[in-house]
Amino acid sequence: MSLSQSISISDSHPADPLRQFTKRVGVATLVLLGLWSLALWLTPYEPAAADFLNRLAPPSAAHWAGTDHLGRDIATRLLYGAGWSLGLSLAISLTGFVVGTVVGILAARSGPAGDFAVMRVTDSFFAFPELIAAVTFAGLFGPSTSNLVIALMVVSWMKFARLARALTLSLGESDYITQARLNGLSSRLILWRHLLPNILPSLLVLWTNSWSRTILSVSGLSFLGFGVQPPSAEWGAMLLDGKAYMQTAPHIMIFPGLAVLLAVMVINLTGDRLRDLMAGKT
Amino acid sequence: MQQNKPLISVSNLQVSMGGKPLLSNVSFDLSEGEMLCIVGESGAGKSTLVKALQGMMPGHCDRFTYAPSSTEVCGAIPAGLGLAQARWVMQDPLAALNPRQPLGRSIAESLHKENLPKDQLRKRVLSALDDVELTADFYDRLPSQVSLGQAQRACLARALIAQPKLIFFDEPLSALDALVQKKIAQRMESLRRATTTTYIAVTHDLGFAAAYADKVLLLRDGTVSAYQSRTAFFANPQSDYAKDLVAAAQSLGALPEAAA
Repeated sequence: MSLSQSISISDSHPADPLRQFTKRVGVATLVLLGLWSLALWLTPYEPAAADFLNRLAPPSAAHWAGTDHLGRDIATRLLYGAGWSLGLSLAISLTGFVVGTVVGILAARSGPAGDFAVMRVTDSFFAFPELIAAVTFAGLFGPSTSNLVIALMVVSWMKFARLARALTLSLGESDYITQARLNGLSSRLILWRHLLPNILPSLLVLWTNSWSRTILSVSGLSFLGFGVQPPSAEWGAMLLDGKAYMQTAPHIMIFPGLAVLLAVMVINLTGDRLRDLMAGKT
Repeated sequence: MQQNKPLISVSNLQVSMGGKPLLSNVSFDLSEGEMLCIVGESGAGKSTLVKALQGMMPGHCDRFTYAPSSTEVCGAIPAGLGLAQARWVMQDPLAALNPRQPLGRSIAESLHKENLPKDQLRKRVLSALDDVELTADFYDRLPSQVSLGQAQRACLARALIAQPKLIFFDEPLSALDALVQKKIAQRMESLRRATTTTYIAVTHDLGFAAAYADKVLLLRDGTVSAYQSRTAFFANPQSDYAKDLVAAAQSLGALPEAAA
């Protein structure tokens, strides 16, 4: 049988869509980070610099998003607030991602008794809704940014643990991991080569979801006064600042609200696309 | 084939799980380069047999010999992972290949224990790809970027690259189209002739057994219903069940003329 008759050789095969997408998201993130730092550098205002002659000014060429009740530039505060709102929630959800994944994989690989113990502890953490946990924490230790972060981190990892455990257990039975075992690969090598690359996409989808929910939690709790404290320019805290002027100067609330909406939407849509790409592959 | 050295011999294999017998009194022996087809309906114990022989399920034998590792035991088949110098080609090639790992690396893992330097390993993989008539550019492709038949060829290459003495095939063709089935079956056959590798193939397809097997082992409810050479099995089946099965395959036209 000759080579040419047995297979049709195509020069171009479809590129791996998952890898392409990851690359694109990476580039977009870098561009956004670049624009953000550029804007921080270019803005002529300080986030906490009050200008009482210019209170509650509507959007103008000098103040693109207007000024708040202390005459601070809202656009500048939004830029700094991104660091708080997105940065804090990123740190919280990443912690949950890493801790939960490690816990889940360990549970799946530690035999029935260890698995049972670890997962019951996980279940008990599920008993605390994250907002209640954060409010309780703030009540006990005082409202502050660090207490908010600690409280949200403590209740951030369980979903990841559950998913990582379930995926690890099901993949452990898979044919390709059986083949790898038969070929004598060590557990560590199987973990890095076979397990992680195949469970990470699902966990990443969960992580985008977790990140956007955490943005809402951080902003929501700050709005309620339990989180980031004034004069820090967190988006939720900015909403709180504008609440008293909702009737007379609605732009104080509109722009932070839009920022939260936009951030949550972009992150969620990215996660949805990632999930769709994965579903197309399996 | 008769003058070839014996490779594997099993006598009175018993496998049970939770007190329930899955296989009882299974015996067969094979020489180098022979092909055994294990046939039988779903749940008859075909896959159990393949797993038990590889030590992945606890099995007991009156006698179990396996030449490549000079294994000769009476009693329990040594538990562990796999037989020495044996490889296993599974039913669903897409399940048997890591979807996030290029084919070349999956194939190379078959030589993991040999610790070859990288360039030598790559050379071996490329020649294994060539053996199953895949070009070098399949080395970097993911399983999602090839057809099912090509993926099964890659699995075949993964088995062959280790130059094993014995290859287990678990329904190697059932996930494939008829035309691809034929090509891969012919390729399997010519490679077996070239390398005198022994094949143990689980199959539903009597036509495949009739075309390529040296011996046929028919399982029913965990016991041997027939164990005969191919010609004897198709001309003069040992049991009523075997007779019915061969007659049914003939009436469907699934058997080649020579076997009918």
